[in-house]
Amino acid sequence: MTEKRLPLIETKDLKKNFNDLEVLKGISETIYKGEVICIIGPSGGGKSTFLRCLNMLEEPTSGEVYFEGEKLDPKSTDIDRHRQKIGMVFQQFNVFPHLSVLDNITLAPTLEKKIPLKDAQEQAYKLLEQVGLSDKANEYPRKLSGGQKQRLAIVRAMAMEPDVMLFDEPTSALDPEMVKGVLEVIRQLADTGMTCVIVTHEMGFAREVADRVIFIDEGVVAEEGTPEELFNNPKNERTKEFLSQVL
Amino acid sequence: MGPSIIDVFIEYWPIFLKGTIGTLRFAFIAVSLGSILGTLVAFMHLSKNKIIKGIATVYANVLRGTPLLVQMYIAYFFLPIAIPVLNNVDKEVYVLIALIMNSSAYVSEIIRGGINSVDSGQSEAARSLGMSARHTMTKIILPQAIKNILPALANEYIAMIKETSMAGTFMLYELMYTRTILANKYLSWQPLFIIAGIYLLLTLVLTSLVKHLEKRFSVSD
Repeated sequence: MTEKRLPLIETKDLKKNFNDLEVLKGISETIYKGEVICIIGPSGGGKSTFLRCLNMLEEPTSGEVYFEGEKLDPKSTDIDRHRQKIGMVFQQFNVFPHLSVLDNITLAPTLEKKIPLKDAQEQAYKLLEQVGLSDKANEYPRKLSGGQKQRLAIVRAMAMEPDVMLFDEPTSALDPEMVKGVLEVIRQLADTGMTCVIVTHEMGFAREVADRVIFIDEGVVAEEGTPEELFNNPKNERTKEFLSQVL
Repeated sequence: MGPSIIDVFIEYWPIFLKGTIGTLRFAFIAVSLGSILGTLVAFMHLSKNKIIKGIATVYANVLRGTPLLVQMYIAYFFLPIAIPVLNNVDKEVYVLIALIMNSSAYVSEIIRGGINSVDSGQSEAARSLGMSARHTMTKIILPQAIKNILPALANEYIAMIKETSMAGTFMLYELMYTRTILANKYLSWQPLFIIAGIYLLLTLVLTSLVKHLEKRFSVSD
Protein backbone atom coordinates (compact mmCIF):
# COMPACT_ATOMS: atom_id res chain seq x y z
CA MET A 1 0.00 0.00 0.00
CA THR A 2 1.48 3.32 -1.07
CA GLU A 3 -1.22 5.67 0.23
CA LYS A 4 -1.15 6.83 3.83
CA ARG A 5 -3.02 4.38 6.01
CA LEU A 6 -5.83 5.98 7.99
CA PRO A 7 -6.88 4.23 11.20
CA LEU A 8 -10.64 3.70 11.21
CA ILE A 9 -11.11 1.63 14.34
CA GLU A 10 -8.64 1.24 17.16
CA THR A 11 -9.01 -0.94 20.22
CA LYS A 12 -6.82 -0.47 23.27
CA ASP A 13 -6.35 -3.35 25.69
CA LEU A 14 -9.94 -4.48 25.16
CA LYS A 15 -11.16 -6.84 27.88
CA LYS A 16 -14.55 -8.47 28.32
CA ASN A 17 -15.79 -10.72 31.09
CA PHE A 18 -19.08 -12.59 31.24
CA ASN A 19 -19.49 -13.08 34.98
CA ASP A 20 -16.35 -15.01 35.93
CA LEU A 21 -15.47 -15.97 32.38
CA GLU A 22 -12.72 -13.90 30.80
CA VAL A 23 -13.61 -13.91 27.10
CA LEU A 24 -11.31 -11.12 25.88
CA LYS A 25 -8.02 -10.77 27.71
CA GLY A 26 -6.73 -7.53 26.24
CA ILE A 27 -6.83 -6.94 22.49
CA SER A 28 -5.16 -3.91 20.90
CA GLU A 29 -5.75 -3.72 17.18
CA THR A 30 -5.94 -1.06 14.52
CA ILE A 31 -8.21 -1.46 11.52
CA TYR A 32 -7.32 0.82 8.61
CA LYS A 33 -9.60 2.40 6.06
CA GLY A 34 -10.19 0.13 3.08
CA GLU A 35 -8.80 -2.94 4.79
CA VAL A 36 -10.51 -6.31 4.54
CA ILE A 37 -9.86 -8.27 7.71
CA CYS A 38 -10.90 -11.82 8.39
CA ILE A 39 -10.99 -13.02 11.97
CA ILE A 40 -10.60 -16.76 12.40
CA GLY A 41 -10.21 -19.04 15.38
CA PRO A 42 -11.87 -21.79 17.41
CA SER A 43 -15.41 -21.41 18.75
CA GLY A 44 -15.57 -19.71 22.12
CA GLY A 45 -12.20 -18.06 21.53
CA GLY A 46 -13.66 -14.53 21.58
CA LYS A 47 -13.91 -13.66 17.85
CA SER A 48 -17.57 -12.65 17.90
CA THR A 49 -17.27 -10.88 21.24
CA PHE A 50 -14.39 -8.83 19.84
CA LEU A 51 -16.46 -7.91 16.79
CA ARG A 52 -19.49 -7.01 18.91
CA CYS A 53 -17.33 -4.72 21.06
CA LEU A 54 -16.41 -2.71 17.95
CA ASN A 55 -19.91 -1.18 17.81
CA MET A 56 -20.56 -1.51 21.55
CA LEU A 57 -23.30 -4.13 21.20
CA GLU A 58 -21.12 -5.71 23.86
CA GLU A 59 -19.91 -3.26 26.46
CA PRO A 60 -16.22 -3.89 27.20
CA THR A 61 -15.31 -4.60 30.81
CA SER A 62 -12.22 -2.44 30.34
CA GLY A 63 -10.23 -0.91 27.53
CA GLU A 64 -11.32 1.44 24.80
CA VAL A 65 -12.59 1.48 21.25
CA TYR A 66 -11.94 4.50 19.03
CA PHE A 67 -13.93 4.97 15.84
CA GLU A 68 -12.76 7.65 13.43
CA GLY A 69 -10.73 9.12 16.28
CA GLU A 70 -13.62 9.33 18.76
CA LYS A 71 -13.95 7.16 21.82
CA LEU A 72 -17.11 5.05 21.78
CA ASP A 73 -19.27 5.28 24.87
CA PRO A 74 -22.29 2.91 24.96
CA LYS A 75 -24.06 5.15 27.49
CA SER A 76 -23.80 8.31 25.41
CA THR A 77 -26.43 9.19 22.82
CA ASP A 78 -23.55 9.71 20.36
CA ILE A 79 -23.37 5.95 20.11
CA ASP A 80 -26.37 5.94 17.73
CA ARG A 81 -24.62 8.41 15.43
CA HIS A 82 -21.46 6.27 15.40
CA ARG A 83 -23.37 3.03 14.83
CA GLN A 84 -24.96 4.58 11.73
CA LYS A 85 -21.44 4.52 10.28
CA ILE A 86 -20.71 0.95 11.42
CA GLY A 87 -22.82 -1.58 9.55
CA MET A 88 -23.30 -5.02 11.04
CA VAL A 89 -24.46 -8.35 9.63
CA PHE A 90 -25.42 -11.17 11.98
CA GLN A 91 -25.23 -14.94 11.81
CA GLN A 92 -29.01 -15.21 12.33
CA PHE A 93 -29.78 -12.45 9.76
CA ASN A 94 -32.10 -10.60 12.17
CA VAL A 95 -34.20 -9.12 9.39
CA PHE A 96 -37.40 -7.47 10.64
CA PRO A 97 -40.20 -10.01 10.05
CA HIS A 98 -43.04 -7.49 10.41
CA LEU A 99 -41.71 -5.24 7.64
CA SER A 100 -41.59 -5.77 3.90
CA VAL A 101 -38.20 -6.18 2.24
CA LEU A 102 -38.33 -2.56 1.09
CA ASP A 103 -39.34 -1.25 4.54
CA ASN A 104 -36.56 -3.29 6.16
CA ILE A 105 -34.11 -1.22 4.14
CA THR A 106 -35.73 2.22 4.30
CA LEU A 107 -36.76 2.27 7.99
CA ALA A 108 -33.45 3.32 9.57
CA PRO A 109 -32.40 5.86 6.89
CA THR A 110 -35.78 7.62 6.97
CA LEU A 111 -36.06 7.57 10.77
CA GLU A 112 -32.54 8.34 11.84
CA LYS A 113 -31.03 10.21 8.90
CA LYS A 114 -34.27 11.95 7.89
CA ILE A 115 -33.85 10.91 4.28
CA PRO A 116 -37.12 11.48 2.33
CA LEU A 117 -38.96 8.20 1.81
CA LYS A 118 -38.86 8.52 -1.97
CA ASP A 119 -35.07 8.87 -2.03
CA ALA A 120 -34.64 6.03 0.46
CA GLN A 121 -36.82 3.75 -1.66
CA GLU A 122 -34.94 4.66 -4.81
CA GLN A 123 -31.68 3.78 -3.11
CA ALA A 124 -33.21 0.57 -1.72
CA TYR A 125 -34.23 -0.57 -5.21
CA LYS A 126 -30.69 0.04 -6.46
CA LEU A 127 -29.24 -1.99 -3.62
CA LEU A 128 -31.76 -4.80 -4.10
CA GLU A 129 -30.83 -4.96 -7.75
CA GLN A 130 -27.16 -5.34 -6.88
CA VAL A 131 -27.92 -8.44 -4.82
CA GLY A 132 -30.55 -9.89 -7.15
CA LEU A 133 -33.59 -9.26 -4.95
CA SER A 134 -35.41 -6.63 -7.04
CA ASP A 135 -38.45 -8.84 -7.50
CA LYS A 136 -38.78 -9.35 -3.71
CA ALA A 137 -39.13 -5.68 -2.74
CA ASN A 138 -42.73 -6.02 -1.58
CA GLU A 139 -42.48 -9.50 -0.09
CA TYR A 140 -42.19 -10.19 3.62
CA PRO A 141 -39.03 -11.87 4.91
CA ARG A 142 -40.85 -15.14 5.67
CA LYS A 143 -41.02 -15.69 1.91
CA LEU A 144 -37.22 -15.47 1.56
CA SER A 145 -34.63 -18.25 1.76
CA GLY A 146 -31.80 -17.97 4.28
CA GLY A 147 -29.42 -16.72 1.64
CA GLN A 148 -31.90 -14.10 0.48
CA LYS A 149 -32.49 -12.97 4.08
CA GLN A 150 -28.77 -12.53 4.59
CA ARG A 151 -28.42 -10.54 1.36
CA LEU A 152 -31.31 -8.37 2.56
CA ALA A 153 -29.53 -7.89 5.91
CA ILE A 154 -26.39 -6.79 4.06
CA VAL A 155 -28.17 -4.18 1.92
CA ARG A 156 -30.16 -3.01 4.94
CA ALA A 157 -26.85 -2.16 6.60
CA MET A 158 -25.47 -0.68 3.35
CA ALA A 159 -28.44 1.69 3.07
CA MET A 160 -27.04 3.65 6.04
CA GLU A 161 -23.91 4.25 3.93
CA PRO A 162 -21.52 3.05 6.63
CA ASP A 163 -17.75 3.52 6.65
CA VAL A 164 -17.13 -0.05 7.79
CA MET A 165 -19.05 -3.32 7.71
CA LEU A 166 -18.83 -5.93 10.45
CA PHE A 167 -19.81 -9.50 9.58
CA ASP A 168 -20.44 -11.95 12.41
CA GLU A 169 -20.20 -15.45 10.86
CA PRO A 170 -22.49 -14.37 8.00
CA THR A 171 -22.72 -17.82 6.40
CA SER A 172 -22.71 -20.10 9.47
CA ALA A 173 -26.50 -20.43 9.64
CA LEU A 174 -26.95 -21.00 5.90
CA ASP A 175 -27.61 -24.18 3.97
CA PRO A 176 -24.46 -25.09 2.00
CA GLU A 177 -25.95 -24.16 -1.37
CA MET A 178 -26.71 -20.63 -0.12
CA VAL A 179 -23.19 -19.85 1.09
CA LYS A 180 -21.66 -19.00 -2.26
CA GLY A 181 -24.19 -16.30 -3.15
CA VAL A 182 -23.73 -14.50 0.16
CA LEU A 183 -19.92 -14.69 0.01
CA GLU A 184 -20.10 -13.30 -3.53
CA VAL A 185 -22.01 -10.25 -2.25
CA ILE A 186 -19.44 -9.68 0.50
CA ARG A 187 -16.61 -10.06 -2.01
CA GLN A 188 -18.18 -7.46 -4.31
CA LEU A 189 -18.51 -5.13 -1.35
CA ALA A 190 -14.86 -5.64 -0.43
CA ASP A 191 -13.87 -4.95 -4.04
CA THR A 192 -15.53 -1.53 -3.91
CA GLY A 193 -13.06 -0.53 -1.20
CA MET A 194 -15.43 -0.90 1.75
CA THR A 195 -13.63 -1.59 5.01
CA CYS A 196 -14.77 -5.03 6.15
CA VAL A 197 -14.19 -7.00 9.34
CA ILE A 198 -15.39 -10.55 8.85
CA VAL A 199 -15.59 -13.28 11.48
CA THR A 200 -15.70 -16.47 9.46
CA HIS A 201 -15.13 -20.19 9.34
CA GLU A 202 -14.78 -20.12 5.53
CA MET A 203 -11.01 -20.46 5.26
CA GLY A 204 -10.96 -20.49 1.46
CA PHE A 205 -12.89 -17.25 1.41
CA ALA A 206 -10.64 -15.67 4.04
CA ARG A 207 -7.53 -16.60 2.09
CA GLU A 208 -8.95 -15.10 -1.08
CA VAL A 209 -10.55 -11.90 0.13
CA ALA A 210 -8.57 -10.78 3.19
CA ASP A 211 -5.77 -8.24 3.29
CA ARG A 212 -5.02 -9.38 6.80
CA VAL A 213 -6.08 -12.41 8.82
CA ILE A 214 -6.31 -12.29 12.59
CA PHE A 215 -6.29 -15.52 14.57
CA ILE A 216 -8.04 -15.09 17.93
CA ASP A 217 -7.78 -17.86 20.49
CA GLU A 218 -8.49 -17.87 24.24
CA GLY A 219 -9.26 -14.16 24.25
CA VAL A 220 -6.04 -12.92 22.66
CA VAL A 221 -4.72 -12.30 19.16
CA ALA A 222 -2.48 -15.33 18.92
CA GLU A 223 -1.21 -14.52 15.45
CA GLU A 224 -1.93 -12.21 12.52
CA GLY A 225 -0.60 -11.51 9.07
CA THR A 226 -1.36 -11.66 5.38
CA PRO A 227 -3.31 -14.74 4.27
CA GLU A 228 -0.11 -16.16 2.75
CA GLU A 229 1.82 -15.75 5.99
CA LEU A 230 -0.90 -17.14 8.18
CA PHE A 231 -2.18 -20.01 6.09
CA ASN A 232 1.08 -21.11 4.41
CA ASN A 233 3.52 -20.32 7.14
CA PRO A 234 1.88 -20.19 10.58
CA LYS A 235 4.36 -19.56 13.37
CA ASN A 236 2.22 -20.04 16.45
CA GLU A 237 1.64 -23.63 17.63
CA ARG A 238 -2.05 -22.97 18.28
CA THR A 239 -2.51 -21.51 14.80
CA LYS A 240 -0.89 -24.60 13.29
CA GLU A 241 -3.09 -26.88 15.34
CA PHE A 242 -6.26 -24.94 14.46
CA LEU A 243 -5.45 -24.85 10.75
CA SER A 244 -4.61 -28.55 10.68
CA GLN A 245 -8.10 -29.23 12.01
CA VAL A 246 -10.06 -27.00 9.66
CA LEU A 247 -8.12 -27.20 6.38
CA MET B 1 -87.84 -26.54 46.48
CA GLY B 2 -89.73 -23.46 45.30
CA PRO B 3 -90.01 -22.32 41.65
CA SER B 4 -87.82 -23.89 38.97
CA ILE B 5 -84.69 -22.27 37.51
CA ILE B 6 -86.52 -21.57 34.26
CA ASP B 7 -89.42 -19.90 36.05
CA VAL B 8 -87.04 -17.68 37.98
CA PHE B 9 -85.16 -16.72 34.84
CA ILE B 10 -88.35 -15.86 32.93
CA GLU B 11 -89.61 -13.71 35.78
CA TYR B 12 -86.40 -11.92 36.71
CA TRP B 13 -84.35 -11.81 33.48
CA PRO B 14 -84.08 -7.98 33.49
CA ILE B 15 -82.25 -8.26 36.83
CA PHE B 16 -79.81 -10.81 35.40
CA LEU B 17 -79.32 -8.69 32.27
CA LYS B 18 -78.53 -5.64 34.37
CA GLY B 19 -76.11 -7.75 36.43
CA THR B 20 -74.42 -9.09 33.30
CA ILE B 21 -73.96 -5.60 31.90
CA GLY B 22 -72.53 -4.51 35.26
CA THR B 23 -70.07 -7.41 35.22
CA LEU B 24 -68.91 -6.70 31.66
CA ARG B 25 -68.59 -3.02 32.47
CA PHE B 26 -66.49 -3.57 35.59
CA ALA B 27 -64.24 -6.01 33.77
CA PHE B 28 -63.86 -3.64 30.83
CA ILE B 29 -62.98 -0.63 32.98
CA ALA B 30 -60.59 -2.70 35.10
CA VAL B 31 -58.71 -4.18 32.15
CA SER B 32 -58.59 -1.08 29.95
CA LEU B 33 -57.45 1.30 32.69
CA GLY B 34 -55.38 -1.54 34.14
CA SER B 35 -53.68 -1.88 30.75
CA ILE B 36 -52.60 1.75 30.73
CA LEU B 37 -51.29 1.53 34.29
CA GLY B 38 -49.83 -1.91 33.58
CA THR B 39 -47.92 -0.64 30.54
CA LEU B 40 -46.33 2.01 32.74
CA VAL B 41 -45.40 -0.63 35.34
CA ALA B 42 -43.99 -2.92 32.63
CA PHE B 43 -41.68 -0.18 31.34
CA MET B 44 -40.65 0.65 34.89
CA HIS B 45 -39.82 -3.02 35.30
CA LEU B 46 -37.68 -3.00 32.13
CA SER B 47 -35.86 0.15 33.30
CA LYS B 48 -32.14 0.00 34.01
CA ASN B 49 -32.67 2.24 37.05
CA LYS B 50 -32.68 -0.11 40.04
CA ILE B 51 -35.01 2.00 42.19
CA ILE B 52 -37.66 2.32 39.46
CA LYS B 53 -37.33 -1.37 38.68
CA GLY B 54 -37.63 -2.18 42.40
CA ILE B 55 -40.83 -0.17 42.81
CA ALA B 56 -42.40 -1.98 39.85
CA THR B 57 -41.34 -5.39 41.16
CA VAL B 58 -42.74 -4.77 44.64
CA TYR B 59 -45.97 -3.33 43.19
CA ALA B 60 -46.59 -6.35 40.95
CA ASN B 61 -45.59 -8.87 43.62
CA VAL B 62 -47.82 -7.38 46.32
CA LEU B 63 -50.86 -7.16 44.05
CA ARG B 64 -50.39 -10.63 42.62
CA GLY B 65 -49.45 -12.17 45.95
CA THR B 66 -52.45 -11.03 48.00
CA PRO B 67 -56.14 -11.90 47.46
CA LEU B 68 -58.17 -9.48 45.40
CA LEU B 69 -60.89 -9.53 48.06
CA VAL B 70 -58.43 -8.26 50.68
CA GLN B 71 -57.30 -5.54 48.26
CA MET B 72 -60.94 -4.54 47.74
CA TYR B 73 -61.56 -4.29 51.49
CA ILE B 74 -58.45 -2.19 51.95
CA ALA B 75 -59.52 0.09 49.10
CA TYR B 76 -63.07 0.29 50.45
CA PHE B 77 -62.25 1.11 54.07
CA PHE B 78 -58.77 2.61 53.98
CA LEU B 79 -58.81 4.83 50.87
CA PRO B 80 -61.49 7.21 52.19
CA ILE B 81 -59.45 7.62 55.40
CA ALA B 82 -56.11 7.99 53.64
CA ILE B 83 -57.35 10.32 50.91
CA PRO B 84 -60.22 12.42 52.34
CA VAL B 85 -61.03 13.89 48.91
CA LEU B 86 -62.35 10.46 47.97
CA ASN B 87 -64.98 10.70 50.71
CA ASN B 88 -67.52 12.21 48.37
CA VAL B 89 -67.14 9.88 45.43
CA ASP B 90 -69.31 6.87 44.72
CA LYS B 91 -68.34 3.73 46.65
CA GLU B 92 -68.02 2.04 43.29
CA VAL B 93 -64.81 4.01 42.71
CA TYR B 94 -62.98 2.33 45.63
CA VAL B 95 -63.74 -1.13 44.37
CA LEU B 96 -62.82 -0.10 40.82
CA ILE B 97 -59.48 1.25 42.02
CA ALA B 98 -58.73 -2.14 43.57
CA LEU B 99 -59.77 -3.93 40.38
CA ILE B 100 -57.72 -1.60 38.16
CA MET B 101 -54.61 -1.90 40.30
CA ASN B 102 -54.96 -5.67 40.51
CA SER B 103 -55.43 -5.95 36.77
CA SER B 104 -52.46 -3.63 36.09
CA ALA B 105 -50.16 -6.00 37.97
CA TYR B 106 -51.15 -8.91 35.73
CA VAL B 107 -51.12 -6.77 32.58
CA SER B 108 -47.61 -5.52 33.38
CA GLU B 109 -46.42 -9.13 33.40
CA ILE B 110 -48.21 -9.80 30.10
CA ILE B 111 -46.57 -6.80 28.43
CA ARG B 112 -43.16 -7.57 29.90
CA GLY B 113 -43.48 -11.16 28.70
CA GLY B 114 -44.56 -9.99 25.24
CA ILE B 115 -41.58 -7.66 24.93
CA ASN B 116 -39.15 -10.28 26.20
CA SER B 117 -40.56 -12.82 23.74
CA VAL B 118 -39.14 -10.81 20.82
CA ASP B 119 -35.75 -12.24 19.87
CA SER B 120 -32.88 -10.12 21.23
CA GLY B 121 -31.37 -10.20 17.73
CA GLN B 122 -34.14 -7.84 16.60
CA SER B 123 -33.12 -5.12 19.00
CA GLU B 124 -29.41 -5.74 18.27
CA ALA B 125 -30.05 -5.35 14.56
CA ALA B 126 -31.97 -2.11 15.09
CA ARG B 127 -29.37 -0.65 17.44
CA SER B 128 -26.53 -1.68 15.10
CA LEU B 129 -28.22 0.37 12.36
CA GLY B 130 -27.95 3.35 14.68
CA MET B 131 -31.62 3.41 15.63
CA SER B 132 -32.35 5.09 18.96
CA ALA B 133 -33.59 3.06 21.92
CA ARG B 134 -37.01 4.70 21.56
CA HIS B 135 -37.37 3.94 17.86
CA THR B 136 -36.13 0.40 18.44
CA MET B 137 -38.92 -0.09 20.96
CA THR B 138 -41.72 1.60 18.99
CA LYS B 139 -40.84 0.46 15.45
CA ILE B 140 -39.26 -2.95 15.98
CA ILE B 141 -40.04 -4.53 19.36
CA LEU B 142 -43.62 -3.44 20.15
CA PRO B 143 -45.11 -4.23 16.71
CA GLN B 144 -43.80 -7.78 17.11
CA ALA B 145 -44.67 -8.08 20.80
CA ILE B 146 -48.28 -7.00 20.24
CA LYS B 147 -49.04 -10.36 18.60
CA ASN B 148 -48.37 -12.10 21.91
CA ILE B 149 -49.77 -9.33 24.07
CA LEU B 150 -53.27 -8.95 22.56
CA PRO B 151 -54.53 -12.53 23.03
CA ALA B 152 -53.10 -12.56 26.58
CA LEU B 153 -54.87 -9.30 27.33
CA ALA B 154 -58.12 -10.79 26.07
CA ASN B 155 -57.56 -13.74 28.41
CA GLU B 156 -56.98 -11.29 31.25
CA TYR B 157 -60.37 -9.73 30.43
CA ILE B 158 -61.99 -13.16 30.63
CA ALA B 159 -60.33 -13.83 33.98
CA MET B 160 -61.41 -10.40 35.19
CA ILE B 161 -65.05 -11.19 34.37
CA LYS B 162 -64.90 -13.87 37.03
CA GLU B 163 -62.90 -11.73 39.48
CA THR B 164 -65.47 -8.93 39.41
CA SER B 165 -67.93 -11.28 41.15
CA MET B 166 -66.30 -10.07 44.37
CA ALA B 167 -67.57 -6.55 43.77
CA GLY B 168 -71.03 -7.88 44.72
CA THR B 169 -69.71 -8.15 48.28
CA PHE B 170 -69.75 -4.34 48.34
CA MET B 171 -73.31 -4.06 47.03
CA LEU B 172 -72.23 -3.07 43.55
CA TYR B 173 -74.64 -4.11 40.84
CA GLU B 174 -72.99 -6.92 38.92
CA LEU B 175 -73.94 -10.50 38.22
CA MET B 176 -73.17 -11.90 41.66
CA TYR B 177 -75.14 -9.11 43.32
CA THR B 178 -78.33 -10.43 41.70
CA ARG B 179 -78.05 -13.30 44.18
CA THR B 180 -78.40 -10.84 47.07
CA ILE B 181 -81.42 -9.18 45.44
CA LEU B 182 -83.23 -12.46 44.81
CA ALA B 183 -82.32 -13.97 48.18
CA ASN B 184 -84.58 -11.27 49.60
CA LYS B 185 -87.39 -12.87 47.62
CA TYR B 186 -86.66 -16.25 49.24
CA LEU B 187 -84.94 -17.64 46.14
CA SER B 188 -81.84 -19.29 47.60
CA TRP B 189 -80.48 -21.70 44.98
CA GLN B 190 -82.09 -20.99 41.58
CA PRO B 191 -80.25 -17.69 40.93
CA LEU B 192 -76.89 -19.36 41.63
CA PHE B 193 -77.30 -21.76 38.70
CA ILE B 194 -78.43 -18.97 36.41
CA ILE B 195 -75.46 -16.84 37.50
CA ALA B 196 -73.04 -19.72 36.96
CA GLY B 197 -74.61 -20.39 33.55
CA ILE B 198 -74.20 -16.78 32.46
CA TYR B 199 -70.54 -16.66 33.64
CA LEU B 200 -69.86 -19.87 31.76
CA LEU B 201 -71.54 -18.59 28.60
CA LEU B 202 -69.57 -15.33 28.75
CA THR B 203 -66.20 -17.01 29.23
CA LEU B 204 -66.85 -19.71 26.60
CA VAL B 205 -67.93 -17.22 23.95
CA LEU B 206 -65.05 -14.87 24.69
CA THR B 207 -62.51 -17.72 24.80
CA SER B 208 -63.55 -18.91 21.36
CA LEU B 209 -63.28 -15.31 20.11
CA VAL B 210 -59.72 -15.13 21.46
CA LYS B 211 -58.83 -18.43 19.78
CA HIS B 212 -60.07 -16.99 16.51
CA LEU B 213 -58.01 -13.85 17.12
CA GLU B 214 -54.87 -15.90 17.86
CA LYS B 215 -55.29 -17.83 14.64
CA ARG B 216 -55.56 -14.65 12.61
CA PHE B 217 -52.45 -13.24 14.23
CA SER B 218 -50.42 -16.37 13.63
CA VAL B 219 -51.16 -16.18 9.89
CA SER B 220 -48.74 -13.27 9.60
CA ASP B 221 -45.82 -15.38 10.89
